[in-house]
Amino acid sequence: MCGIAGVLYKQAGNHDIGKTLIDMLDGCQHRGPDSTGFALYGEDKDLLQLRFIVPTEETARNLAQENIATLLARHGATIKSEQSVGCSYQIAVDFDGDLLAFTRDVEDHAKLVSVGHTLDIIKDDGTAHELDAIYHVGEVRGTHGIGHVRLATESAVRPEAAHPFWATGFEDIAIVHNGQITNYWKMRRRLERRKFAFHTDNDSELVAVYLADKLAQGETLDSVLETAIADLDGTFSFLVSTPTQIGYAKDNLAAKPMVLFETDDMIAIASEEVSLNRLFPGQSINSSEPAPGTFHTWSRSI
Amino acid sequence: MVTIDLSRTDITTANTRIRDCGRDRQDVEIINPDARHNIGVGLVEPITVRVRGSAGYFCGGLSDSAHYEIEHNAGWAVGDNIYSGSVVVGGNAGAIAGVAIRGAEIVVRGNMGSRAGQVMKAGTLCCGGNAAFMAGYMMYGGRIIVLGDAAAKVGQDMSAGEIFVGGKIESLGNDTMIVDMEPGERDDIMAFLERYKLNYKGDFTKIINAGKKLRYANQEPRARPQPFFVSSNSNNYWNPKVQEDIWIKGEVGRYRIRGYGASKPVPHLNDIAFVKDVTAVHYKPEDLKDINLKTTIGGRYGAKPLSLSMPVMIAPMSFGALSRSVKIALARASRLSGISENTGEGGMLDEARAEADQLIFQCLSGRLGWNVKDMQRADAIEIYISQGAKPGLGGQLMAKKVTPELAAIRGIPVGIDLRSPSRHPDVLGADDLVIKVQEFREATMHKVPLGIKMGAGRVNDDIKIAYKDGFDFVELDGLQGSTGAASTEVLENVGIPTLSAVQEAVDGLKEINAGDDMDLVMMGGIKDGVDVVKMLALGADCTSVGTSAIIAGGCIACMQCHVGTCPVGIATQDKVHEARYDIDLQSQNIHRYFESLRWQIASITKALGYDDVHRVNRDDLVALTPEAADITGLPLLSEHPALHKPELGLEVLNRKAG
Ligand code: SF4
Repeated sequence: MCGIAGVLYKQAGNHDIGKTLIDMLDGCQHRGPDSTGFALYGEDKDLLQLRFIVPTEETARNLAQENIATLLARHGATIKSEQSVGCSYQIAVDFDGDLLAFTRDVEDHAKLVSVGHTLDIIKDDGTAHELDAIYHVGEVRGTHGIGHVRLATESAVRPEAAHPFWATGFEDIAIVHNGQITNYWKMRRRLERRKFAFHTDNDSELVAVYLADKLAQGETLDSVLETAIADLDGTFSFLVSTPTQIGYAKDNLAAKPMVLFETDDMIAIASEEVSLNRLFPGQSINSSEPAPGTFHTWSRSI
Repeated sequence: MVTIDLSRTDITTANTRIRDCGRDRQDVEIINPDARHNIGVGLVEPITVRVRGSAGYFCGGLSDSAHYEIEHNAGWAVGDNIYSGSVVVGGNAGAIAGVAIRGAEIVVRGNMGSRAGQVMKAGTLCCGGNAAFMAGYMMYGGRIIVLGDAAAKVGQDMSAGEIFVGGKIESLGNDTMIVDMEPGERDDIMAFLERYKLNYKGDFTKIINAGKKLRYANQEPRARPQPFFVSSNSNNYWNPKVQEDIWIKGEVGRYRIRGYGASKPVPHLNDIAFVKDVTAVHYKPEDLKDINLKTTIGGRYGAKPLSLSMPVMIAPMSFGALSRSVKIALARASRLSGISENTGEGGMLDEARAEADQLIFQCLSGRLGWNVKDMQRADAIEIYISQGAKPGLGGQLMAKKVTPELAAIRGIPVGIDLRSPSRHPDVLGADDLVIKVQEFREATMHKVPLGIKMGAGRVNDDIKIAYKDGFDFVELDGLQGSTGAASTEVLENVGIPTLSAVQEAVDGLKEINAGDDMDLVMMGGIKDGVDVVKMLALGADCTSVGTSAIIAGGCIACMQCHVGTCPVGIATQDKVHEARYDIDLQSQNIHRYFESLRWQIASITKALGYDDVHRVNRDDLVALTPEAADITGLPLLSEHPALHKPELGLEVLNRKAG
């Protein structure tokens, strides 16, 4: 039950993605006042960037951070830099082992919400502007990103249940989703059989894992989205982002809204035109509404 | 012309100014609209509103006689439910353009999104470009003109009306067919296009309803009525009602339809009792005059709350399921007893409006009888999501009851077996509902309380959504809630009992620290003042009664409400049958029944040691069965810590329960 937004600048460079997404999400915050989240793609860093959700209370936080350090040491990952902000603990590590095995173990013991060399996921309870005040999202620059506002219905209001979801085990992939996957358990059981762990009961996490699994098998983002529309049941509009791409898929019933606007320089997608219009105040834009059961992807220049 | 800049004016202020301009007959120009929602909602004056840019959801919605010109795009549900007037969209329109219109002209020069014209009743919806899938979904009348192509399932589940498509048709919907145009029809369309300067020379394909699904193929046979007590009294497998069901299914070959609620025994308020022996106390009316029963409902956001003389409302029941006479009697009884009446689905009767002091107007998925004028003369608005008798399904009205008069107020064809949609066209999630709530607030100038009616299913989740989406009150209906017609299997088996529902609601609200600003009205099997007080003690703020009010007014519980020939003139639209109903007599009976509730509620409140019914609480209650204890978390009588204190009178209860 939410609003989604995504933006991609087609030319590589340092674009104002943080501020753009804040504006877009603020435009549709009425769809989800409980929590907000961003998946932002900046420059490609040498070190692996991890972000965890940790308790805000100091003793518990210290304990959680110590645990994380021990865990990482066990896998031969050395912490090169660290930062505690809001409900999160952000670190950069030197790691070149098996990422899937590493993250599976880490995720069993800590709330890992973002993994990647270019991706950073920032999510918390509160509105886009409230998050900005804590995490300085507006200062983040990069090429593309997706974001989400959430009205918690079935799952509780907790930062880790907020979107975006990173695709557990696979770096630099994130999704945001508006809708409801009705064959959630059926799909989840199949993925669990294949040793994927789920850390929330949120159906959007399923979408992330589903997509990542297929991408890891070497499929293209387009073909993954095509099969997703066939495999996932229910009502959905979701966005997915990779280090170089952004894409959407929309269910066969067109039950959840989504509009997009493309120029030579950028593509912006959102639940409602009011979010797109935030980027062009006072102007009318030639937006379009994707047809039911369709998907599309865009790539930035490399 | 007055100019309103939406970059500096919030939408409520803007809409107030638009209405003021309407009264002065001044046209309005909106600048910097930037796709904001609810522009011009609720306007009922013949002025023109020009939107210089794009509009968001519900632009021009819930209006009458106004004209809107949107230069660029429009979001979902442009022109929602317009009665008369027009909307012209210069660019594209989102999903459900022209939803539920009752007579307006809506022109979209570009493309329109899916489900355009859903549940429209009359008027014209015209699209210069292409229509996305399911154009004309569930339409009841009017015409849709698409000059470009139409995507899949054109006219899906339409009951009446016409769809004209100039371009390619991807596929036809259920129960539709292509027919030749009538003489003059093309000229009419061309004149329309001319008026809106749409240039088109090509041909049209005309699509209408094929009429194969408007009525059940096999009608229910006239059976000797097996009344409610036959079906509910005996819990054995093959009781006469079960036998009757099987015989009739053997005849009609489908599920059965009947009136009333679930008849199987489920844990209910009878399974809990008061800790104190309230039966030992006998009060005269004069002893009770200082006991406060006054109940206000719906003040959460500053609207004028309903002000009830006691924590009781009349449950929503439609003109359609019930006869006009009964709706008048209920409205009158509600006034005499100082409580509220509710229109249910299917529109507001002038006589009922005149009789009732406080009238709730209900909005259902089919938007039958729904309109802005009646919204603006209602004392509260209620969005129906579902009801206890049939959670997840829409209303059902068998053909015998769909008379010309009834069809006219609802805006539907005469004589169909009406199965209202199960979903609202514009509410497909809690996120859309937020914007719908805002639209209703705008249409009623934030002056009347806004409620949501829910059948008890996943109450713990649903109540949180209701709270977060900003409703003033919730009317929550348990499994035992009755209806005019529903399939037996759904009546008996879908949903959770009222007792579980109230507990889940109270728990759910507590889990999100909701406080008590959203009022909870419980219904489904409330039969007397004892039940009312128990409900309040469990955490409800108010109750509502349907079946018991109907029984007070003469119903004999024969469960044939769906047939349309109610022997006492209640659940019928047949004039001969309705003539048996004496409005004066029955309104007095219903009123006296309400007064008996009042006396009981006050007596029990006093006997429990309070001077205000809203102070009763869980500590006043004890569960009589392990099931009721499990559901409510109340102590079981046999384990109650106060059991051995004879002054509390628990022995009496214990003997009774034992
Ligand atoms: S008497 Fe009328 S209202 Fe009562 S159960 Fe029979 S048909 Fe229904």
